[in-house]
Formats: sequence, C-alpha cells, structure tokens
Amino acid sequence: MTTDRRRWVPYALLAPGAIWLVLFFALPMAFMLLVSLQQGSLSQGYELTWNFAIYPEVLGQYWELMLRSVVFAFLTTLITLLIGYPMAYTIAFRGGRFKNALLLIVVMPFFVSFVIRTLNWKMILADNGLLFGTLKDLGLLDPSFQFLATPASVIFGMTYNFLPFMILPLYVALEKIDRRLIEAATDLYASRVQAFWRITFVLSLPGVIAGSLLTFIPAVGDFINADIIGGGNRDVIMIGNVIQFQFFTANDYPTAAALGFILIIGVMALVIAYTRAVGAEKLTEG
Amino acid sequence: MSRPGLGPPSRIEAAIERAMRRDQISRRAFLGRAGRGGVALGAMMTLPGLLAACTPGSESASLEWANWPGYIDIDEEGNPSPTPYPTINAFIEETGIQVNYTEAITDNEDFFGQIQPDLASGNPTGWDVITPSDWMVGRLIGLDYLEELDLTQIPNLEANAADYARGQSFDPNNAHSVWWQGGITGIAYDPTLTGRELTSFDDLLNPEFAGSVGLFKEMRDTFPLTLLSIGVIPTEATIADVEEAQQKLLGPAEAGQFRGFYGNEYYDELAAGNLVASMAWSGDITQMALYDNANVQFVIPDTGGIRWNDNLVIPNLAANPSGAHQLMNYWYDPVPATILSEYIGYFTPVADVPDRIRQDAEAARDAGDTETADLLDAIAPTVAPSPEQLANSYEDKPLDEEEEQVWNELFLEVRGA
Repeated sequence: MTTDRRRWVPYALLAPGAIWLVLFFALPMAFMLLVSLQQGSLSQGYELTWNFAIYPEVLGQYWELMLRSVVFAFLTTLITLLIGYPMAYTIAFRGGRFKNALLLIVVMPFFVSFVIRTLNWKMILADNGLLFGTLKDLGLLDPSFQFLATPASVIFGMTYNFLPFMILPLYVALEKIDRRLIEAATDLYASRVQAFWRITFVLSLPGVIAGSLLTFIPAVGDFINADIIGGGNRDVIMIGNVIQFQFFTANDYPTAAALGFILIIGVMALVIAYTRAVGAEKLTEG
Repeated sequence: MSRPGLGPPSRIEAAIERAMRRDQISRRAFLGRAGRGGVALGAMMTLPGLLAACTPGSESASLEWANWPGYIDIDEEGNPSPTPYPTINAFIEETGIQVNYTEAITDNEDFFGQIQPDLASGNPTGWDVITPSDWMVGRLIGLDYLEELDLTQIPNLEANAADYARGQSFDPNNAHSVWWQGGITGIAYDPTLTGRELTSFDDLLNPEFAGSVGLFKEMRDTFPLTLLSIGVIPTEATIADVEEAQQKLLGPAEAGQFRGFYGNEYYDELAAGNLVASMAWSGDITQMALYDNANVQFVIPDTGGIRWNDNLVIPNLAANPSGAHQLMNYWYDPVPATILSEYIGYFTPVADVPDRIRQDAEAARDAGDTETADLLDAIAPTVAPSPEQLANSYEDKPLDEEEEQVWNELFLEVRGA
C-alpha cells in the first residue's frame, strides 16, 4: 500500500505542471505543426497533405529576416541588461525604505497600453518632434537627422518596452544575496570590484538568465515596434511582421504556422545553448 | 482601403478637437432640420412603419450593423439614448427598429475571416448589415454569401443616388449591394517640403525625395496605383503586369526611397512633415487641410487614381432583412446623408448632398456663424467626386485567390521580406 502510493505520488505532484505543458504548449505546437503541413486556400479550405517542403521553402525565403530578428533581439537583451543591472542593483542594495516605491516606478509604465506607449515614443522621437525638433532648432543637430524608421529606433523601442522584464528578475536575484558574503569577501582582502564580480554577479546569474530569457524571447517575435516606431521600413521589419502579414492579410495559414514553428524551435535551441553556456542547471540546483 | 480608424495620439488630439468643432455643425444642422423635416419624417413613418408591422419577419425588431470605426456622426454629449449617433437615433425613432451599431470592421480580410466559417457552413453570421469594401463585395457575391436585394424596398436608391454610385463593376445592377461611402487613392505632398508641384506617380520615386516617401502597406492600395503608372488599367492587369509594377518599386525600395509602409498612420507622418510625399486617401487630406496641416495637397496622379468604396450588404440568413432594406433606404434619404457627410467627409452616394451642405453654409453665414460657414463650404466640394476626378480614376481589380496570393508575395518583397 505505502510502496504503491510512493510510486505514484511524484507523478501526481507533477501532474498540474504536466497538464499545463500539454494543454498550453505541446498541443498548440502540434496543432501549429499540422496547420503548417496543410495546403489549400481560404475558400476551398485547407487540407493536410504533409507538405514538409514548406519548411525549406520558407527558410530559404525568410532566413535573412529571421537572422535580423535574432540580432535585434540579442542587442535589445544586451542593452536592457546593461541598463537594467545597475538599476536593479541600486534598488536592491541602496533602495532602503524606497524599494517598493522604486519598483512601482519601474512597473508604472505597464499601467498604460503597450501600443499607446510605443505611439508616444513615436511622437517624442519624430523628425521634428519634441526631442529632435528642439535640438534641430538649437542648431545642435543636422536638420536632415532622422531616428524613426531606422534599426536603432526599433531596438530602442524594444529596449524600452522590455526593460521591466529584465529589471524585476534581476532585482529578485540581487535582493536575496546574503550581504555577509560580500562582507566576508572584503574581509578577505577582495577589492570592491573583485567582490562584485566573484560574489554578487555570480550569485545574481539566475536573475540575469531569467531576465535575458524574458526579454529575448518576446523580442524575437515582436512586430509592434518595427511597425510603429520602424514605420514598416524595409531595413527594420522583423519575422513577426511577416507572420502577421501571412496570417491576417494573406490568409496563408500554412506559411504563417511554419514560420511560427521555426521561430519557436529556433528560440528553444538558442535558449538551451545559452543556459548550457552559462551553466543554469548548476546555478538553479543549489 | 481608407480606414478612418483610431489614430495615434497626435491624431487623437486632433480628432477630439475636430469632433468638438464638427459636432457643433452637425448638431446644429441636425437640430435645424429636425424642425423642417418633421413633417416629412412623420409621413415616412406611416407607410414603411405599417408595412414593417405587417411583415411576418418583423418580430425581430433589432438590427445588427457592422461598420468601420469613425464612419458615422457622433453626438457631442457622447451618450444620448438610445445610441450616441444622431442619425441612427432618428432611424430608430422613425422605424422602431433597434439598431445595434458596432465598429466591428477594421480590416476586410480580418472581418472576412470572422464571418467566413459561418457563411461557408450555412449558419447565420449574427449580422443583418455589413459594410465591406468593393473588392470584398465582389468576393462575397462570387461565393454566394449575400442575400439578394429587393430594390422595390429601397425606392430612395432609384430616386436619389448619384450616377457614380449606381451599379459597380462587381455588382452592375445593385443586386446585392449599395454604396455606403467612398473615396479616391492618390498622392499627397507638402509643397513647402518638396519645393515644387507634384503631378505624377513617378514623382514618388524621384531620388530627390529619397527616404521621405510613404507607400501603403496594403498590396491592394499600392499595386493598382503603380500599375496605372506603367499604363495598365488595374482591372485588366495580368500577373506579368504586376511583376513589372513590382520591379518598378523594387529598385527605389532597395535604394531606400521609402521611409516606410503605412496604414492610417501615414496621416500623422505626412502632417508632421516626416514624409514629404505619400500615397494618400482623398478624404483624409481634406481633413488634414482643415485641421492638421494646411500645406498638404492631394492630387490624383496624371496616370490616374483608384476609386474605392464601402458598401451596405446583407449576409446570408440575416435575421432582419426587412430592417436591413429600410436602413439602406434611409441612407439614401438626402437628410441623414447630408448630416453624415458634414461629419465624416467621404464621398457620399446621394446626389443632392453637396448642394445641401452649401445651403447649410449659407444658413450659417446668414446666422452670423462665418467659421461654420467656411468649414461647410470647404467640405461641400469634397464629398462628391468631380467629373475630372471620375474621368481620371479607376476601379480596383477583384482578385481571385491565386492572383491574390501571387500579388501578395510580390508585394511582400517590395516591403523587404
């Protein structure tokens, strides 16, 4: 009886997570795979023909945009990390009784819709808008200067929109570091810089990993920033824009599904490679 | 095609201001007429009202109408009963039919995707009247998704429709559709930024404007105008023609000629001067000249512009086809049609509307309200296409699915994918 129970208890405990994964990840993935292998048209209906040839086809056609999306997302992640780390560090270590207020400030922009926030940046950054218009009037900037509809502007928009996703996990990781470890390090003649890199940074790595994933993954598939801030310029559109076009405008569900499937598999591969490289298993085991 | 959709914030501010100003006019105009038209409304109420009461289907006294955002007059109080829309309230009062007006269409393809499964499997869509664009009506007729109209129930169409609004190529005898509103796709530019007058489509491709030109992100807007510029009538375009049009755009696109590919947001970019020239919708530029940037000019390129319109149609198995017919008939009454046009400024299908707007301007001037009078005088010539505009504009081609796929693929390449 007891041994029987012992045998299935772990499975029962796993069940909620497993069911969640099956319902919200495995099944949709399988469904998307099946849609991608269909052929047909909207009026005639789509039929499953196991058309695997669509994968090399869309890869050949859109690999450049996929690469661009990964590069944009990587740069976004890097910049959010560089901006977010000092912010999270300051809040965690120097925030004192203002910690909660400071965190609230970080999250505050989220009270406003994503699209509205992005549109507002577009106004601020317009060629003759609040920022550049003023600088141009003051003669500090060339009148032909343009920031919107450039790759930099899209990366800027994504950095702004995803920054809180980086800061919050970093804060959580930094906040729970035992300060006595840093004291111990300095007692043992580590310089402050050494103590930071050998103690604080290493212990905050789970936060770095979590923040990077939360930023990178949505950034790869983003299309709002390229559309609004990037104005759909040829040099800035991302794979998300193509998926959106294929799905909503061209009603080409198989192509959209194939692109989506490749994107998810590609992101999973990158994530696994990344976590391997920084040794996430070891970090999260302890 | 031109969607008076919700714009970005700069436009929202402008829209609020515009709405406030416009409401004054339309409301004033509306109240003024309510007195004058009282007798006529009362007379109209009896006959169709009685007929409706006798029709077997009339127990369904509500009417579900799907339209595009920003495509109707709105009362300044925002929430009068039963709807915020004065013209619709007048219809409800006249007929007793409760209209549920929903801004459910923001994109033809999206909306088609919503109703298509029901129509394909022979179920009601839940809508009595929908408002798709020309080519979409062609597709819906082709798929046999629309109820046939009984034109005897729409006498105002015969009596009041402007010539250009009768019978489209996709529906020559109005067997399935009647015009709602329309416009022309052409080009707009700011002469203070271009430094010269633009007259042709090829001006958009001139390297002197490199990086400051906007195109539409919808293939159906951008390709037909390009086709005209290579001397091809869009309705007669072959795949080879479209390939040629694509090549014409591809070179400049790759050289960075186009700042971006836009939907409604081209309006702000143009008004703000980020774009010096762009493809544009006629009605928008009228509004821009009045409210946002008086410099910007709309022209139909010398090679021609594209005429488009949205239409009232009844999807199969609609619950209240009799109410739908009454609604269509109502919109071909010059009184509500004029109120609508003074408010939204697109091409009206009703012949008498421009003159009536001028009369309203006159009345406002007599009453000492020169501001309103000037505004109405500016709107009046823009709510109907001029003979020159009609002569130099063409219809869009209704594409079959294969053409659509090829055109889309070709266009996606221009957009950089």
